[in-house]
This record gives sequence, C-alpha cells and structure tokens, in this order.
Amino acid sequence: MKPDTDFIITGEQVSKGALSCRGCGWSLLARYVSNVMGPETVYVVPACCFSIIAGPSPMNLMNGTVVHTLFAAAAATATGVRHALDRQGKQETNVVVLAGDGGTFDIGLQALSGAASREENILFICNNNGAYMNTGVQSSAGTPSGVRTTTDPSGKATPAKNVMEIIEAHNIPYFATASPAFLRDLQRKLEKAKEARGFRFLMVDGPCPPGHKHEPAISIELARIAVETRFFPLFESANGGIEINYFPQKNLPVDDYLKRQGRFAHLYSDGSESRAPASGQDSGAHANGNQTRETSGKNQEMLNAIQMQVDQQWEKLMGKQTVSKV
Amino acid sequence: MSQLEAIEKQRKTGPGPASRHVKKVLKGNAAAALAARLCRVSFVTAYPITPQTSIIEEINAMIARKEFDATCVNMESEHSVFAALKGASLVGERVFTATSGQGLLYAHEVLHAIAHMRLPIVACNVGRPSYPWNIWADQTDSISQRDTGWIQFYCESAQEVLDTIIQSYKIAESSNMPVMVVLDAFYLSHTSENVYVPEQQLVDDFCPHERRTSDRVDPKDPKSFGGLVDPSKYDTYNRAHWEEMCRIEEQTDAVGREFEQFFGRNYGAVEAVNIGPQTKTVLVTMSSITTTARQVIADHEDTGLLKIRLFKPFPKDSVRKALDRTAKDCNVVAVDRNYTADREGALLQQLRQTMCKTDRKLFGVYAGLGGRDVSPQTIRNILDIDYSSPDTEEINWIQ
Repeated sequence: MKPDTDFIITGEQVSKGALSCRGCGWSLLARYVSNVMGPETVYVVPACCFSIIAGPSPMNLMNGTVVHTLFAAAAATATGVRHALDRQGKQETNVVVLAGDGGTFDIGLQALSGAASREENILFICNNNGAYMNTGVQSSAGTPSGVRTTTDPSGKATPAKNVMEIIEAHNIPYFATASPAFLRDLQRKLEKAKEARGFRFLMVDGPCPPGHKHEPAISIELARIAVETRFFPLFESANGGIEINYFPQKNLPVDDYLKRQGRFAHLYSDGSESRAPASGQDSGAHANGNQTRETSGKNQEMLNAIQMQVDQQWEKLMGKQTVSKV
Repeated sequence: MSQLEAIEKQRKTGPGPASRHVKKVLKGNAAAALAARLCRVSFVTAYPITPQTSIIEEINAMIARKEFDATCVNMESEHSVFAALKGASLVGERVFTATSGQGLLYAHEVLHAIAHMRLPIVACNVGRPSYPWNIWADQTDSISQRDTGWIQFYCESAQEVLDTIIQSYKIAESSNMPVMVVLDAFYLSHTSENVYVPEQQLVDDFCPHERRTSDRVDPKDPKSFGGLVDPSKYDTYNRAHWEEMCRIEEQTDAVGREFEQFFGRNYGAVEAVNIGPQTKTVLVTMSSITTTARQVIADHEDTGLLKIRLFKPFPKDSVRKALDRTAKDCNVVAVDRNYTADREGALLQQLRQTMCKTDRKLFGVYAGLGGRDVSPQTIRNILDIDYSSPDTEEINWIQ
C-alpha cells in the first residue's frame, strides 16, 4: 500500500465554514467519516475541538444528527441513543462518537470501557491530537513523551497511554488506527467499521497546527511522516489478531517527525529557549542521535527514549501480527 | 395514612376508580420498581448503590420474567447512568433510573445537563448522606441537587412513592422538566407497607407517554442538540426554564386533583394538618418523619403539621396560604434531616425565603441525620422546646 490521496468524497455531508483552525485534522476527518456514514447517523460529541467545529447552537456543520454531551459521557450517551433508536426500529441508524484524546484516554475512558465491555453497537472515533487542544494545549494521557505543553512546560516525562492495547483487551469486533495521510486506508477502515456490528473503535492521528506548532500547510505531510517513522503505526484488528497495514520501507528515525514540530523544539535546543523550526524544513534522513543543532544531554536522553518507545511499540505490534503482508 | 383511609372507604362503597386496585404488601423500593413498570418506561439504566439497589434488581427481574417490556442496561457508573438516560430521552423514550447518596452526587454534572436540555426524565433517589460513610436515611444527597433544575418530591409512604412516580411522568412530560422522587433510606426503601397497586389500564389512561415537544433525535431530520450557546442567548434558556418552574407548584396540585379522579387518592404540593387560628406551633416536615409527626400531633390540639411534598420548586404560595391561617404568634418549626454545611437546614432556609416579608417566628431543628430514628418521643422533644422563651436558639440539634 502506498501513501495516497484518493479518498473520493462521493456525497459531501459537511457544510462550508467549519470553525476549525487551518490545517486541522478534525475538519478533514469529519468530511471523510460523514461521507462513509451518510446522513442517517447520530454523532455523539463530548467536549473537544469538534464541539466547536460542529457549530454553536443551533448550527450544525453536519448533514446528520449531532448530540453534544458531557466530557466524561460520550460512550454512555451513545449507549442511550443506540438503545432508544433500536427500540424504535432504527437499527440501521449509525451511532458514532467523535471524541478527542482527552475524552478517550482520560476522562472518557470509564464510559468507553463500559460501552466496549457491554458490546454496545456503536462506533467510537478518537481524533488523537495528543493534548487538550481545545482548552489551549494541556497535557493528556495521550500526549507523547517529551512534548512541551502549557501544563508540562519542561516537556512531558512519561509516554502516551497505550489506549489501543486497552481497547484490544476488550475483545471488540473491530478496531484500527488510521491517518489522514493514508486516505484509501482510512476509507476502507471507515467502511469496515461501519459494516461491523458491536463496539468498534478507530484512532485517527490528528494533525493540529496550533497545538503541534507547525505550519497548516504541512499537516498531512507530518501525518505521513508520523506513519513513515512508525511514530503512528497503521494497524487493525477484525475479530482477533493484529494486522499491520503499512510497513515503512525506509528506516526513518523518529527525529524526522519530531524536529518539524514546535512542541518538540525544546529537545533540539540547548535548553535556554524553545524555538519552533521553520516549516518546509528538509525532512531527509538523519542518523540517530546525530543532530544538526545543539542538543543537551538531557534532551538527547529524551530523544533516545522516544525512539526507543517507538521501536518497542513497533516490535510489540510485529509480535502480535497474525497476518503478514510484508 | 389519609390516602389509605380514603381508598379503603371507597373500595367498600362499590365500583369506582378507587376499586381498580390490588392491595399488596410492598417495600418502598418495590413500589418504585412497580411504578416504573406501570408507567411503561422503555429504557432503564442501573448501577448498584445501597439502599437503592433493590429497585434496579426488581426492574431487571421483571424484565427477565417478561412482565416488563423495557431495555435495562447495567452501566459502569452513575455518571453514565444519567448520561445514557439523557441520550435515550433525547431520542424520545420514556426512561427511568434510581440511585442514592454518592451515586447522585457523582451524577451531579449530568443532572444539570438533563434539566437544561429540558428532558422529561423521572428518577428515584433513596436518600442517604455522604461522609462519614453512612447508608441510612438523610436528605443531604438530594438537597445538594436542588439547584440543578430538577423538580423534587419527597415521599411519606410506599404508596406515595408509587403514586408520585406516576404523577411525575405526567408533570415531567407536560413541562419538559426532569423529576426526582425521593424516599427515605430503609424507613421507606426497605419497610413493607400496604400499597394499593392500580390496574395497568388506569395508569395508561392517566399518563400515556406524551411529549409536549417534537424536538427529539430523528435520523430523517438531522438537527444539532446541546451545542454552545453564546452570552447573547444563554439567559433566554434560563428564563424559559424559570417560567416553567414557576408553574410547577400549581401544576402539581392540578395533577394531584386529576390523579384523585382516576385513583381516588389526593395529592398536593403541601399537606396542611390541623393548621388554623388556634395553632400555637406548626411542624414543617418532609418524608417519613411526617407520619410520626401525624401520630404525635393527634394528641396536641394546638399543634399543626405542614408536610412539604414538593420541595423544588419550593411551593411558596401553598406554604404562605397554610401559615397565613395561623395567628401571628404561632411558632413555625422546620425539621431538617439534611445538613447543608450552613447555619440552618434546607427546609428552614426555604421557609425563611418564603416568609421573609412577615415577622414569623421561624425555628429549625436538625433531627434524624444519618438515619437516627425520629421516634414519637423525638417529635415530643421538639414540641417540648419553649419557643416563646427568648433564650431558645433558632437552630436546635435534637437527638
């Protein structure tokens, strides 16, 4: 499978004028999701960037029903919506949660786990932009190590929670990761998730120019590099087992992804001041640990740790593979 | 109980609405579960917490026995319990749950959302306090929710629990307001009483599932619900809620009168017993303490009883009307089974607001907190306080 851009929007379900930032993954994701789901869909949206993007009352970005709900309660609200629709004979209506990483990894995890373990017939989609972006870039459990946020001004010390493994432990019929840079893969996964019955989960990488601190124009490029460096691996699981959907051909260091984002910039300076690297910077391969800029020992330690986490995550995934497509 | 006496009398006089009942011995919790079934609720969510648990157990048992056509989902927390009700109610189902104490406190955030999305949800709360750990009768949990926008009824008997849930769906659906029906832990929830259970048809005729608004999730007609409201519009939602709240006291009485026509038992926002110009002291009570007070004041000709059944919105007109019948020097004593971390309990606070333009002598008694028994002797101790003495405190702790 090659990186591609040929997700065909066959029936636009999103109005013009979304209240998203330029280069936002959410607004693109909403178009792709709604194109596959169609208008007979109830979107349940906890507090997250999408609560704003979907429009203030009574506006509705989507040609579909939007139920805004409480931060901790997305999967629980969706449970009620699902059962009520079923009682009214509307089993064919899709119930789709659109949540951020806070509403998935942190405050929403209890309800998510409850709904997954009850095998509720809902699709939960997490747009993972790796921090509380809607409130101004605070750390979440989805924030990767090293990222500088307003609540981790020195950089986050611990890695992101592995929510996919938590999801996997629930033995649900379908779960997958997806990227807005791999559109055919995203489309296929959305269709598969739509078709499956029971609790389904999609984790989509969410480029966020103001939060990740990069130019809006390179959002998709960065999402692609996240997959190429194995920082955000693409995999899925349908009825047990893991299938890796994309094997990066070049062994690119994670630096290629990190150093183009302001959220990691402090790791590449001497520590006195953070500086967002210019956009469009050459992303050519660098040898691991051989940085072009001054990097303090402590920062180098963190960079090594991030590379190690990425490598370990990949190894773990490889170990879980039941179907090989190398 | 006056309601039971009325129905006994009517049953003896032959056919009529009151005769269409079966007499059963039921605990308060069983009466609550039965009421939910009689109201044909279609979606119930559950999470166990003592002493509410037998309500959701009984509902699940009735569904398992196929006596009850409803979906019951066992959720992972009370926050989720109420959030799922919110979702199902938005789609248009008639929904129900029951909780207690910590559970209600945990759901606090969702209670606000439900009330201000104007969802006609009815929920039972079996009242108990929070910390230190205690599972016995207390109103602190539900009193803490008084500003969430829910209507609150406090019940005196298992019969009243059953009847109030039936009336609550009528009130909720005609006003688009959620209703909390509160019963005392153990004194009501786990105490067996005679309960007249109405025929299904009677309940169907009285409160068919009718939503006043068509504003609900309809996949064929996409809309957005609960989105951000900016400062230029926010207060219009509060105002609309307030206007409806202002009608609830009157509506409670109207629904109570209509209920009597169907079921033979009358209910109002308040009940005044022995209140007139001769009354020297009026006890103001809620819930099962009222029953004990009824018996005690029967021997005290100069003592009246004002039972507050509708607590939120506080029935100011009914309370003023009742207390205006007494002489100016009549003492009014609120019995509060709730500790609000303030100088006075919730009932006394509400009475002060209600009577603020008068020079009424208002007193407050903290009694029965954390389930301490309020026995006839406790009531007598409350009445033995010399309220005319200048040395008597406004607030008294009674054991």
